[in-house]
Amino acid sequence: MIEFKNVGLVYPNGTEGLKNVNVKINDGEFVVIVGLSGAGKSTFIRSINRLVTPTSGELLVDGENILEHKGKNLRILRTKIGMIFQNYNLVRRSNVLKNVLAGRLGHVGTFRSILNLYPKEDVALAYENLKRVNIADKLYNRADELSGGQQQRVSIARVLTQQPKYILADEPVASLDPPTSHQVMTYLRKINKTDKITTIVNLHFIDMAMEYADRIIGMRAGEVVFDGPVSEVTDETFEEIYGRTIREDDLRGGASDQ
Amino acid sequence: MSKEMISKKSKSPNLYPRKTKVQVTIIFALVLAMYVYSINFTAGQTNGGFANSLSNMGEVIKKFFPPNWSILPAIWEPMATTIQMAVIATTVAALLTIPLALLSAHNITTIKPLYYITRISLNILRTIPDLVLAVIFVGLFGVGVFPGILALIIFSLGILAKLFGETVEAVDMDPLEAMRASGANIFQVIYYGLVPQVLPQFTSFVLYVFEINIRASVVLGLVGAGGIGLTLDRELNFYNYPNAMMVIILIFVVVIIIEFISTKIREALI
Repeated sequence: MIEFKNVGLVYPNGTEGLKNVNVKINDGEFVVIVGLSGAGKSTFIRSINRLVTPTSGELLVDGENILEHKGKNLRILRTKIGMIFQNYNLVRRSNVLKNVLAGRLGHVGTFRSILNLYPKEDVALAYENLKRVNIADKLYNRADELSGGQQQRVSIARVLTQQPKYILADEPVASLDPPTSHQVMTYLRKINKTDKITTIVNLHFIDMAMEYADRIIGMRAGEVVFDGPVSEVTDETFEEIYGRTIREDDLRGGASDQ
Repeated sequence: MSKEMISKKSKSPNLYPRKTKVQVTIIFALVLAMYVYSINFTAGQTNGGFANSLSNMGEVIKKFFPPNWSILPAIWEPMATTIQMAVIATTVAALLTIPLALLSAHNITTIKPLYYITRISLNILRTIPDLVLAVIFVGLFGVGVFPGILALIIFSLGILAKLFGETVEAVDMDPLEAMRASGANIFQVIYYGLVPQVLPQFTSFVLYVFEINIRASVVLGLVGAGGIGLTLDRELNFYNYPNAMMVIILIFVVVIIIEFISTKIREALI
């Protein structure tokens, strides 16, 4: 369980990233955070694995206040939280398998990983996960030889190989075309349901949020302005979150082909 | 507006403002005057003017020919020593560069004081010419290969750490962030996220510095730091020009071969 208690974050330049955020995310939920760019979605998500550090309040992950964590504690926290990025963040010159195995780095000792001495079961796990996202045939291809959608699937396989308890996805489909976006969201949704991994996704496409989320959290200017199950969400809710009427480019389009 | 409508009298603007034109003209005139003056001055200093020194040059060059091929077997060994010096110095410098370059890259070393200290020390190191280093080390350790190797290590360290440090600063930080986010420690982040991105450039820089070191180690020999340069210096001091010519030819051939191979490898890498 992840719990934000009066969490605030002020960046060194004075910008307020988060203002008095109080949110509780239960195990197994699929939560989508929506809001305009700059609303604090990324800051919210990156606070959970401490890529940014909130400046006030308490952030509890499995009952521990993670804002005090540093060094080894912080790395242990991060091994149980997987992350997916807008730009896939693969090592472009390394092959697919090596990229996926990087998900084990937090579990494998420094020497073992530097000498490429992964336990057999780790390599098997990486291969299984590549099969799960349907890209096992690209095992030895370099990451930069793959299309955007394929790269994002490799990064999903990397996160799965990490065997996390939580998955954070920061705008995972913003660089993809509509059909590929739906494919990626479908994988995330499927993983959430079958592996019971709590998943938090940042999106700015309203239709995708509605299609995949269990629960929607709306953010504006660093504050949570809506929090509720997807059944309670209407067009007016989004207009309130966005602070304006809904436009064409707030929609991804292209219904799921899966 | 059609072309006919622009009368010949209508004013067209200059390509550059008048002021710039005047400035550039003055600068060019000054540079030209400097050249003319220094040619005259040099000719005045040279005994018998340029004509004489040219004929003198011809005389000296004649003494270098024909080169003495018979000493070739005897100079292989100092040549090999020179190459060995360059290999050892480049290898040690390449190993030492890795931590220094990482410490002098602001995206990896987030501790500001550490970054600035490394930066400044490397900058100071680079200001010392290789010849000066060799003279200092020959003074400290005596004539021989060891001071030459030390001078080359420090000299190449300056170049390598600068080139490599800047490459590290230009890498894509996204994969490093992903690894940090998955709980990897700093060594794993560097090894998995950074190394694959910079390895080709690093190898290329090391080969390039190796080329430089071959040439530099010849020059260092002249001040007593071992290798073929020492042999060349001795032959010149004895006015043994045919032998010196043979040494020069050997250096020339070896340097060209090594540069050719190294350039080919570097082309294949990048």
